[in-house]
Amino acid sequence: MNTTASLRGATVVLGDRAIIRDLDLDLGPGITVIRGPNASGKTTLLRAIAGLVPLARGERSVPVPTLFLGQRAQLLRGLSARDNLRFLAAFRGAPADRVGPALAAWGITARDATRPVETLSAGQRRRAALARLDVERCDLVLLDEPFGELDDEASTALARRIRGLAGERRTIVVATHGHPELDPSANRVVRLA
Amino acid sequence: MTLRRIGLIARREARAERGQPDGLVSAITFVAVLILVESLTVGPLAAGQPAVAAALFWIAMAFAAILATSRSFERELEDDALDALLAIPGGRDAVYAGKVLALTALIALVALVGGALSLVLLSLDVALPGHLAIVSIAGVLALPPVIVLFVVLSLRLRSRGALVPILALPVLVPQLVAATNGAAAAASGDAAGALGWAGLLVAFALVYSVLGLTIVPAALE
Repeated sequence: MNTTASLRGATVVLGDRAIIRDLDLDLGPGITVIRGPNASGKTTLLRAIAGLVPLARGERSVPVPTLFLGQRAQLLRGLSARDNLRFLAAFRGAPADRVGPALAAWGITARDATRPVETLSAGQRRRAALARLDVERCDLVLLDEPFGELDDEASTALARRIRGLAGERRTIVVATHGHPELDPSANRVVRLA
Repeated sequence: MTLRRIGLIARREARAERGQPDGLVSAITFVAVLILVESLTVGPLAAGQPAVAAALFWIAMAFAAILATSRSFERELEDDALDALLAIPGGRDAVYAGKVLALTALIALVALVGGALSLVLLSLDVALPGHLAIVSIAGVLALPPVIVLFVVLSLRLRSRGALVPILALPVLVPQLVAATNGAAAAASGDAAGALGWAGLLVAFALVYSVLGLTIVPAALE
């Protein structure tokens, strides 16, 4: 397997508890599904790969551009969805002209795209966040419970998009405790205890 | 590249504040009310003395800057917006400087309104208005590097609302002393004194900026 990112002997301690202990993980192109019950460390694992929590021990190697979409939409209040995505695209050096079509593809109308994000519904904010997949186009995509707040239609579109990204030889890591329909198309299912 | 990202974060902050101006509005309201209450409490004669008026103004500014900075980071945490920046390479390095830049502009606006109110409400005579402007600019530059640093250091703490003033204000005492003495010197016609204190304020701003740029990227992990 071509390795896009890896963890070696990774241990993450939050407070006085080791959430992840001595984990070895290699991620390559395709879909990796992370499964596990609540509090099993799925979110922490994704945050560790994204470099958002420090490793107490072990090594993290992520040499490719990474997009981490957490359980919340990560959109700054006071700005519109369009401006949020434009700033993030510019920050990453991606063309800002991808933002409009990407938001439209995820069902955000031009009018809603220019409204402050705090006036959008949770589902709309989630869709706007997912549009970053098509704007920033990173080689490694980390999705933490991405189906939360989505209706059936958007969930189906997301599952299709995840398979599409995998078809483009990108590495997609999805942490979820639902959506078993993803498993047949996954290259690997990692189960956390 | 980093300078471009710092500019982007500052612009993003300014746009968000324009869309949801609660940080600016609460800081200006706070400064206005505090100057009014302080002037009533100490009486018009005492409040009109340059040293007293300057002290009242800069204490109000310090609290207002803490208020605005805390609000700015609360907004970042509300929907995990900060994570989006930190997960992008270079994000950690640009956040501190971008926030300091944007909040300096915001605090300058608060200082402009608060300064005008002080001059009117306290009927102040300023012998050297140009020097007062220089001291005010230097004082505004000196506040955000310290306050942003302490707000970031306390981001993961539940009681950060109470902790930031407790941690930041003792560190801000030298800046407040310098700003107060500088403004009082400008008001009473001591040009050399005003410029000396302004220089000290700029030095404080530089030292804490370097400290923040060094510490904050690691603290944000």
